[in-house]
Amino acid sequence: MTDHVLVDPDALREQVRIKYREVAAEPSRTFHFHTGRPLADRLGYDAAAVDPLPNGAVESFAGVGNPFSMRCLGSGERVVDVGSGAGFDSFIAAGLVGVGGRVIGVDMTIEMLEKSRQTASVLGLSNVEFRDGLAETLPVEDGWADVVISNGVMNLCADKQAVFAEVRRVLKPGGWFQFADIANGREVPPDALRDIDLWTG
Amino acid sequence: MLEDSGFTDVLIGEPVDTFGGATGEEKARAFEVYGYAFLARRA
Repeated sequence: MTDHVLVDPDALREQVRIKYREVAAEPSRTFHFHTGRPLADRLGYDAAAVDPLPNGAVESFAGVGNPFSMRCLGSGERVVDVGSGAGFDSFIAAGLVGVGGRVIGVDMTIEMLEKSRQTASVLGLSNVEFRDGLAETLPVEDGWADVVISNGVMNLCADKQAVFAEVRRVLKPGGWFQFADIANGREVPPDALRDIDLWTG
Repeated sequence: MLEDSGFTDVLIGEPVDTFGGATGEEKARAFEVYGYAFLARRA
């Protein structure tokens, strides 16, 4: 590991998979974070966009902010959703970019991918697809995207520099990176930063 | 870190009380953890 990577990336990924497998399968369980429609409302999502979505698209939503709050997506834009989970933000994006646009959601948790693909099928969407992959090695060609979105994912990646470099790779020059994530205002003790259990709990 | 990674025009939104009322609230309060929206452009 290099100096800026505080925990083992593979071990952290496995912890994240375990946690989000539970969020996919049992979304009504109590987690240390909010989920679903109440969370979308809390984070300021447009109810007109959220309300029509089926429960499968929303119930496992576990974001931490609203990546559309500082810039709305434009019609026809190509979007990559890093850590798309059960697809909530991808489906919101698909509605915003319209049939002339395209959304690729990327996630590493199979249960989340299956859920998002099932919902896309139910909705009959032709402008969104979900791919198995990691944030550090996105399965998207160079310079494909007008926009990269993400929600609550960067804080779960051990090597943020690698993820930002990969986001840059898939974006066109001048493309937008609009994401939501958590940040702490008070310093976390060094020992805690290396405690992998605290990254996901 | 975003600027070091080749992004410009970085903007950060207002904090959102992401964990308020959740079981993770106590830990979030201890380290003043909030959710933020970020916007940046690829240079």
